[in-house]
Amino acid sequence: MDKIMPESWKESTKPHLFCPGCGHGIVMRHLGNVIDEMKISRDVTLGIDIGCSLLSWNLFNVDTIQTHHGRTTPTMVGYKQVKEDRIAIAYMGDGGGYAIGLQSMVHAAYRNNPITVIVVNNENYAMTGGQASPTSPVGMVTPTSPSGKSSEFGTGFHAPEMIAGIANKNAFIARGTVTNPIQMASLIKKAIECQKSGNFAMIEILSMCPTNWKTNAKQSFEMLKEMELLYPQGEFKTGKTEMEQK
Amino acid sequence: MKLQMLLAGEGGQGIQTIAKILSRAAANAGKEVSYIPSFGVEQRGTPSLAFLIIGDEAINYPRFDVADELVVLQQRAISTANKYVSLNTTMIFDSSTINHRSLPKIAKKILGAPVTKYAFEKFTPKSFNIIITGKLSHQLGLDKAIVWEVVAKTLGKKLTNPEIMKATKAAFEFGYDLTFEEENFSEPSYLPETSQIVMKGFGKTAYINPKSCKGCGICIEKCPVKALAFGETLGVYATPVPDIDLEKCIACGNCKRFCPDAAIKVDKDKKA
Amino acid sequence: MTEAKELLTGNEAIVRGCVDAGAKIMFGYPITPSCEILNGWILQADASKDKTKYLQTEDEIAAGFGVLGAVLAGEKSFTASAGPGHILMQDPMAMAENLRLPFVGIMMQRGGPSTGTVNFSQQEVNLAAFGGNGDGMRIVYSASTVAEIYELVIKAFDTAWKYRFPTTVLGDGYLGKMKTTVTLKKPLNPVKSEPILKELKESTNLRNCYSTEESLGEVLAKNIADWNAARYKIAESESYKTADAKTLIIAHGLVASAAKGAVDMMRKNKIKVGLFRPITLHPFDTKSLISALDGVKKIVIVESSLNQLARLVKYELAGMKLDISEVAKPAQGFTPEEIINRVEEING
Repeated sequence: MDKIMPESWKESTKPHLFCPGCGHGIVMRHLGNVIDEMKISRDVTLGIDIGCSLLSWNLFNVDTIQTHHGRTTPTMVGYKQVKEDRIAIAYMGDGGGYAIGLQSMVHAAYRNNPITVIVVNNENYAMTGGQASPTSPVGMVTPTSPSGKSSEFGTGFHAPEMIAGIANKNAFIARGTVTNPIQMASLIKKAIECQKSGNFAMIEILSMCPTNWKTNAKQSFEMLKEMELLYPQGEFKTGKTEMEQK
Repeated sequence: MKLQMLLAGEGGQGIQTIAKILSRAAANAGKEVSYIPSFGVEQRGTPSLAFLIIGDEAINYPRFDVADELVVLQQRAISTANKYVSLNTTMIFDSSTINHRSLPKIAKKILGAPVTKYAFEKFTPKSFNIIITGKLSHQLGLDKAIVWEVVAKTLGKKLTNPEIMKATKAAFEFGYDLTFEEENFSEPSYLPETSQIVMKGFGKTAYINPKSCKGCGICIEKCPVKALAFGETLGVYATPVPDIDLEKCIACGNCKRFCPDAAIKVDKDKKA
Repeated sequence: MTEAKELLTGNEAIVRGCVDAGAKIMFGYPITPSCEILNGWILQADASKDKTKYLQTEDEIAAGFGVLGAVLAGEKSFTASAGPGHILMQDPMAMAENLRLPFVGIMMQRGGPSTGTVNFSQQEVNLAAFGGNGDGMRIVYSASTVAEIYELVIKAFDTAWKYRFPTTVLGDGYLGKMKTTVTLKKPLNPVKSEPILKELKESTNLRNCYSTEESLGEVLAKNIADWNAARYKIAESESYKTADAKTLIIAHGLVASAAKGAVDMMRKNKIKVGLFRPITLHPFDTKSLISALDGVKKIVIVESSLNQLARLVKYELAGMKLDISEVAKPAQGFTPEEIINRVEEING
């Protein structure tokens, strides 16, 4: 039996509990690849939020702690204060990251806490049934915006751009997308290396939610194309890797 | 008169849709109704239960310990469903996906209907829950027309295409008129494949894990040469697994790169 | 063992207690009347050349979750707060209650509800014992003197790491700010901490969210069983001059210290009065309370809150025919004289 899944994935808990076609699966897969490539599965502690990310609590053969909604960043900040040599990853969705948990993310950036924050943005509160989130675009119909999300709530929440403004000059802040997994994997790797250089790193990954978007694979990618126009991809702060710092 | 019906299946099978339709139809028919779903946080991968109570008097508690009628639509849901079986329970099961020998023996009566097989062979794979809705409506003594009206309203936008509307109605009526198997049950032939599929050809080897494949279709969408298409093998949630045309395939790695479940890859064979 | 007399405030004694207990990192947010704990800890941490650490967080919620992160990493960690900050602590404490994490919090009660006053109350008992969305598997100590708060802080770390229930030490603003002569008894053999995310080849994967009622029910049943097995080892109280008492005062914290003074003065006038002082409010030392009731005709519960202590006591005494009076003065303190007046009123 030839292994297709990353080494750092726990085989016994597959198939994982993410919905068919969920973007989280693509992110988890490439996060696993990066962990394998960098040989850091014994060095990583993964913190996850409450929301769909909670489904990954036993996905990896990597120490994992499922925290409270919006509280993954402060938990991993505290953890890293004690475990300076380990790699602390705080993984969450757009609700946990940019609504309830935004304050902690901004302050972690402000203090330059050396953790890696990964925000998977699928433009809704998926686990609770698809309610509008800060990143939902204007006009999106959701259970909390049945006539389409009003422009009163802003035209799009650009968090990496905002956080780049407050973060240390050596921080790594970027946005990628699941439609470009090679770039996404490279961003994940840089975000981990930036932590190793002693600085804050945060990446947002544009993702899809076929269950709440009510899309098939083709339609999911079409919707992502629109998201990619609203939320530009690239590096907002390029950080310094461990190599460069030396 | 009070009937306690429990529907048990896989998350994502449409158990709740069936229960919603039946409860609405029973209410429209003038009955007292209670319906409550039971499921975990996951959308898929765990049992989905629907507690449905239909009676003549007001119902005060939505759940029950023992089902009068227990409808089981997926093998993996049996252990959960077992808790609700008694000597007076009538069990209704999908004989094309469940082996009747795995059902609890103490049930009063066991009735089978190979609905998944009919769905695949006569209609579309996804229509199996419309077929069972038809049969259960009949079982509950509900009027065919009243229930169809509710089905049409519930599925709403999905039925705007007249072809789809016609096919769905046909599936519903087929189900309504079905006769249960009371013995000589069909052998379950619509079961998910458990072994890894390995295909060799044209200098490449493809590996597909049906145990991880959820039928999302992303690999089909992302293949630049359209070498992938849904096949006949069933994956872990009884959805079709892709088939790969190794002649067309260029081993670009996209399917592996994009699969959220790490269920597929194609390797170029190493030259000797 | 240090036996010299020192002049310390409660907040200073708390910092000393945390250091002597082996705490390595504090997370906190400034709020009166607990600020001096954060300030004091930071001063000693800077002087310790990074042997002990700290982080002033963006709010109390982040402070509480920071403690959880540190504890998961295997270090003794704590936070200190009060009033509105204590409310925010319920989020991390609920996670600690579910995951059995040794969270230690020192809460200096102040007037409530809402912003109230910055000074004093005993109104955070319900919050400490039953706040959060669980059933209250949490340990609550109540300190009545500056010397005692030093001891209870050290005990809190031991109890939390040994039994793995979130543990709160309740003080109040007066206790925090009063300067008094004390003799601090240094601890022997504090309980060791260890990483909870164990960094083994087979990973540690922890969750607090369950898919079904039954699966959470199983976890809770285990937690409750552990609580029941440990409760009488954890529960503590003081029975002061209760042997032949006809009137029993029940009070905790600083109010109990005043009550002690009241008892002494009444005893001088040959009044047979005693004091039962819970040291743990939760789990409650029921056995000792029942013993102390021997021969007692009247019970007087005195607290700077409305019914919060009384409810705990009455739950333990349910079904017994007793004459219980409640003397409640939320957010305001009692002098010994005032307690004497109230007891005399009740005794007629």
